[in-house]
Amino acid sequence: MAVPTLSRVLLVEDDPDIRALTGFALRSVGGFELEECASGADACVRAKLFRPEIVLLDLMMPGMDGWATLRAMRAMPETARTPVVFITAKVQTHEVESYRRSGVSDVIVKPFEPAALPDLLRSIWRRIHGEADREPA
Amino acid sequence: MTAYPEALARAYAVALRDYARGGGEAALLRAYQAGRDTLTEGLGVLELAAVHQRGLVEMLGDLAPGDHARAARSAAEFFAEALAPFEMSQRDLRGRLEEHERLEHLKNEFLSIVSHELRTPITSIHGSLNLAVEGLFGELPGEARHFLEIAYQNSQRVVRLLDELLDVERIERLEFGRDTQPIELAPLLESAVEANQAYAERFDARIALAGEAPSVKVLGDPDRLLQVLANLLCNAARFSPRDGTVVLRAEQQPGLVRVSVSDRGPGISEEFRPRVFERFAQGDPPPSGHREGSGLGLSICKAIVERLGGRIGFETEVGRGTTFHFELPEWSEEAAKGGGAETRWPSRP
Repeated sequence: MAVPTLSRVLLVEDDPDIRALTGFALRSVGGFELEECASGADACVRAKLFRPEIVLLDLMMPGMDGWATLRAMRAMPETARTPVVFITAKVQTHEVESYRRSGVSDVIVKPFEPAALPDLLRSIWRRIHGEADREPA
Repeated sequence: MTAYPEALARAYAVALRDYARGGGEAALLRAYQAGRDTLTEGLGVLELAAVHQRGLVEMLGDLAPGDHARAARSAAEFFAEALAPFEMSQRDLRGRLEEHERLEHLKNEFLSIVSHELRTPITSIHGSLNLAVEGLFGELPGEARHFLEIAYQNSQRVVRLLDELLDVERIERLEFGRDTQPIELAPLLESAVEANQAYAERFDARIALAGEAPSVKVLGDPDRLLQVLANLLCNAARFSPRDGTVVLRAEQQPGLVRVSVSDRGPGISEEFRPRVFERFAQGDPPPSGHREGSGLGLSICKAIVERLGGRIGFETEVGRGTTFHFELPEWSEEAAKGGGAETRWPSRP
């Protein structure tokens, strides 16, 4: 089955500078339809209307952190199966696999190259759909 | 044991006998003092116990059997008193060890927090520069582009430094070498050449794999092995003369594989050689004059290789070049089934 085109991305990042430049890259370089949120709580509200195809979620946020946001999204029918990619400064190579086992599609480590982010996100998207195709019916 | 502690131990045995024969507090005090002296003179607690045993046996021989029980009780009391300085010294040592561990933990936590906290502002700086040098804000005037590229490359350097600081912290927490698996070496070497070729080109050098890498497996963490290779290859490229070739070579030897990285650079000065693998140690700058590292890279390589059961070293000749090499035990299914034979390294001259 052909991989559907990725277009709607929800970006959740509390740091305004990182949010601005990531948003710029996703819109200008990637050409995605983008919704930006500064908190996990806001992301859960907006995700219901925006219906993202993928969520780019900062792990370390005050209040509702990435894990709490992920749990909340999994509990909502609108986002229960939406792929989530963590963005974090606090990850080590050997931890990435355990993140994936916890229901996270991938992890992008800060600092990253925003210019290359759209391609990276598309390759994650293709991988997710490749894996989904191989899943037994 | 030197003659002096032996004399002190004898004094202790005499004090024990006096105490058991009713010498009272004065004998106990002498025993206590003898215990302290033997301690400061470096007599171990087990040696002291042996002296006590000797003294006790000798003393019992002098006494009527009816007095043995009383003498043994006195000896036990005496022994407890005489060992008090050891007990205190051990408690003190334990306290100091605990304090040392607490400070180490605080240091690592501090390092971890600083490294992670710095990543947030660095992400903004590095990301903005990345967008600018990639031309996303339009074509930049020549000089602006040149200086932005300098800033971008230096932001990459800061990121590497942060990574290395975190690696040091992970080494201290013994987090390396947990995710080992059998790895085919040849594709790993090819990936390392490909991944670091662009970096070498910045120094007008190239990386070449000598011949065909042997078909051999090692037990390791592929990311960590690539990190070791990247470090050695990038160092070699930085120190290579213009148009120089950095040669990556792998050789199979009985029970192990030896990987080496050679350059034709200026070599390592004799004074610096003993410190090459020390943390933060830096020798003479490369021909370009630009230091790029933190002086942590080679100490991290050593920690990784040793954690994987291997060893690392180098040969160098001033004016001719340097070869860094590491050796890892070869992995085979048979050895793994048998629990893995321990590699016996030949002794170095």
